[in-house]
Amino acid sequence: MEINTISIFLIIRYLFFVYAITTIGSYIVLAIISAVETVAYMKKNSFVNYKEILSSNIAPSISIIAPAYNESLNIIENVRSLLSNHYVNYDVIIVNDGSKDDSLEKLIVAYDLVKVEHLINQQIPTKPLREGIFKSTNPAFEKLIVVDKENGGKADALNTGLNISQNKYVACIDVDCLLLEEALQKMIKPFLESTDTKVIAAGGVIRIANSCIIRDGKLIDVNLPKKMLEKGQILEYIRAFLLGRMAWSRLNGLLVISGAFGMFDKKIAIEVGGYDTKTVGEDMEIIVRMRGFMEEQKEKYKVAYIPDPLCWTEAPDNYKIFISQRNRWTRGTIETLRKHRKIGFNPKYNSMGLLSYPYWLFFERLAPLIEVLGILYFAILVVLGQVRWDYTAAFIIMAYLFTVLFSIVAILSEELTYHQYKKKGIGYNLLKIAFLEPFAIHPFIVYSAVVGNIDYYFNKKKKWGEMTRKGMTNPETI
Amino acid sequence: MVDIKKIVIAEDNSLLSSLLKFRLEKEGYKLLVAENGKDAIELIEQHQPELILTDIMMPFVSGLEVISHVRNKLNMLTPIIVFSAAGQEEIVLKAFNLGGTDFMSKPISPNELVIRIKRLLR
Amino acid sequence: MNNNQYFFEYLQNSPPIIELVWFMIGVSLLSILILIIYLKYLRTHLRSNEKIRETYQMKYELHLITYLYSGNEEETISPEQQTIIDELKKDLSDSFKRSIVVATLLKLKNEISGELDESIQKLYYQTGLINFSISKLRSRKWYVVAKGVRELTQFHIKEVHDEVITLINHPKNEVRKEMQLYLVNLFSFKGLDFLDVLQTPLSEWDQIQLLEVLQRFDDQQVFDIKPWLKSSNDSVVTFALKLADIYIQFQAKEDLIELLDHKSEKIRIELINVLGNLNIIEAKTILKNHFIERSQQEQIAFFKMMEKMPESDDESFLLEYIHHENFEIKLSALKILKMINSNTFNIQKHKGTEPDFVKIVEYLENN
Repeated sequence: MEINTISIFLIIRYLFFVYAITTIGSYIVLAIISAVETVAYMKKNSFVNYKEILSSNIAPSISIIAPAYNESLNIIENVRSLLSNHYVNYDVIIVNDGSKDDSLEKLIVAYDLVKVEHLINQQIPTKPLREGIFKSTNPAFEKLIVVDKENGGKADALNTGLNISQNKYVACIDVDCLLLEEALQKMIKPFLESTDTKVIAAGGVIRIANSCIIRDGKLIDVNLPKKMLEKGQILEYIRAFLLGRMAWSRLNGLLVISGAFGMFDKKIAIEVGGYDTKTVGEDMEIIVRMRGFMEEQKEKYKVAYIPDPLCWTEAPDNYKIFISQRNRWTRGTIETLRKHRKIGFNPKYNSMGLLSYPYWLFFERLAPLIEVLGILYFAILVVLGQVRWDYTAAFIIMAYLFTVLFSIVAILSEELTYHQYKKKGIGYNLLKIAFLEPFAIHPFIVYSAVVGNIDYYFNKKKKWGEMTRKGMTNPETI
Repeated sequence: MVDIKKIVIAEDNSLLSSLLKFRLEKEGYKLLVAENGKDAIELIEQHQPELILTDIMMPFVSGLEVISHVRNKLNMLTPIIVFSAAGQEEIVLKAFNLGGTDFMSKPISPNELVIRIKRLLR
Repeated sequence: MNNNQYFFEYLQNSPPIIELVWFMIGVSLLSILILIIYLKYLRTHLRSNEKIRETYQMKYELHLITYLYSGNEEETISPEQQTIIDELKKDLSDSFKRSIVVATLLKLKNEISGELDESIQKLYYQTGLINFSISKLRSRKWYVVAKGVRELTQFHIKEVHDEVITLINHPKNEVRKEMQLYLVNLFSFKGLDFLDVLQTPLSEWDQIQLLEVLQRFDDQQVFDIKPWLKSSNDSVVTFALKLADIYIQFQAKEDLIELLDHKSEKIRIELINVLGNLNIIEAKTILKNHFIERSQQEQIAFFKMMEKMPESDDESFLLEYIHHENFEIKLSALKILKMINSNTFNIQKHKGTEPDFVKIVEYLENN
């Protein structure tokens, strides 16, 4: 009896240890791969002059699809910024998703819109139009198409845009995102460059615009925000995008591209049925589905990734919104992984089934739960008086230092590549966050993930409330 | 006091605009330089220039919008010379439709520009 | 000292896992320390670099404008200009400053033409910058070579043609790309000769860039796409089709029609678009004959082609497809039908109840 308990404790302990080592190991591997890929990317693109190219109509056509829900406050400015991209052959489809405010009226006045006749090939079923489709009478805004439809959620709005777009590629973005002028040129590049592999989608980087100065739809000055929560997220995004995503793109294992800015081959996006309106994680879900589809077709494909800071958006600046956002991301991940569980550990899906999916399952989906289990286990040990405090301390210090190390590597790679935080003192500030973030932000992330799990399994109603109301304010998934 | 003719130039390449400013001020014009369409519109509203030079590809407010604003919102008949990159014929057509007076394809010859300006401001 | 001893004793008595953990703690701490110092150095370095860059950029811009306006007609180089040349020369040994000088020249080079452009060119030669660009071609690093070719392209240095063309089979795609751009930028349509021997694929991105460069030339010289249409390199065929489309290569009609049986579907679809744009009516009959055997994408492309050249004898063919399950085919068929014979259209429009059919008819009637 006594021996049994001890061996069980031992096994559990070793399991936790193995998990921790694998996590650390995978981080190290990802960091190394990302370094290799970053160097290659920077060299390759260092002398491309984006201003010179793709400024003619020979370049393929792109539609920017931006769903808007009650965005009246900033919609005029946001649309203007979308219209000022340096690419020539593109249009902007604003899908007003049943807004209850005066977004549509404001757009009509500001851009001289009139209602036009339309014929939509309804390839993906969506909610019907409300007022119809509008275009500008002013040739300066001829790129603009405004669609007014009944409320159906972000995925439904994006699907409407997919149906309406006449172009070969679509860029799905959040309307409140600030896109840099060369964004489309850079995003379309992987699609056009590849000769033997079909590029089905490309994901961009999301940078946090809090406290940055934006004037006339242009990013004037990059600042570090004041609040710990905002700073913590900046570090988190740098880590996720510059280390994580970069490495996964090298492995061609990206399972998610940010909902705030991603580009798709429209034909394939429609062929798989567009966005799933029944999930809160539609941006991850569509990529998993498109990849699964390509694997089933046995076609050589790739999901590309552009690390340049092209899209800037506001991140939550208070804990309440932050927690509900992460809660939603957690549920989105669970839903996607569950819906596509046949892919996991399935050799038919190649590296997607054997590498990406398991990684997401163990290190994204389950990580917070395992962390909580670890804490519970530790609590039991404390109660039983079984704790070796010196060992515990050593483990915690190791985990902590490793997290800090990883963050610092991320900061360095940002400095070596894009160096967006130029001002004096920010370096010191970022380092400080690297040390504090594990205490200040991490607990909230774990907390919201756990609540997300509970909501997913025991509180199904919550989802339906959100589907329609879901503000387009911050739905990006990193 | 001879009245000096004012020209607003909207061009995001600062080197090109200072070069043209230098050149045109030697010809006796007063140059007001804007780096983007938005600043250009402000300068136009403020100074009521005799001529406008504008690039098409500019951040935020494009050259097309500048033309449209001048013709439709301000209802001004000020001559506008448009600079465009080569291979942008369609945009040039749009610029004319909106009320552009003349256009020059980049690379532009400053001497030719002077001649065209003189002709328009005669 | 005592403490250390105690710690080592403690470690020796711990299980291996704990030893490993402490080892990793040590490594992490050391790495963190090193990286922090490096970060500090890097940020200071980057910041000061940027300041220096700005200062020099302003200085060189001023130099350049002064240089451009201090030329006089009698002499090739005025004394003021010579002073500026000498001063720039001094700075060129520093590669950082050299890159700023080059950037400054290029900032203006692409924007102006005429005398001033020639002056910039002269400056590029007089300062010896050209030698730096040429020496890049011999670098072992591929991206330095690519940059060198790019600079030579931007400054239109035709005399290094023979050296640049040796890069045609360079293992790195980026270098080949720059080489192709060099040829087309400097020798326009004549530069396209490299297509005759190109083995590697020409990506869509490359093709667009080449076409954009070609658009800048007015001299639409005679060039013959026929050999390229027969190329075994599919990307060359695609590119030739684009050329046929843009430069209306009607004389290649027969060769184009022959391609209708090309093995690549992508090429066939592109071809059908081009045939439509060139109004090659003969292709219509050929395509109609084996219509059903063609892929759906080709069929759609064919209907788009018919929209461009509707003829009244298309009617019977169209009537077979106005109830086709594909939306685009149905739309095209009805649209063309309405164009060529509104009576038939008016009779047929009542014969469908399927929602898409009704929707299309309604739309066509309002437009």
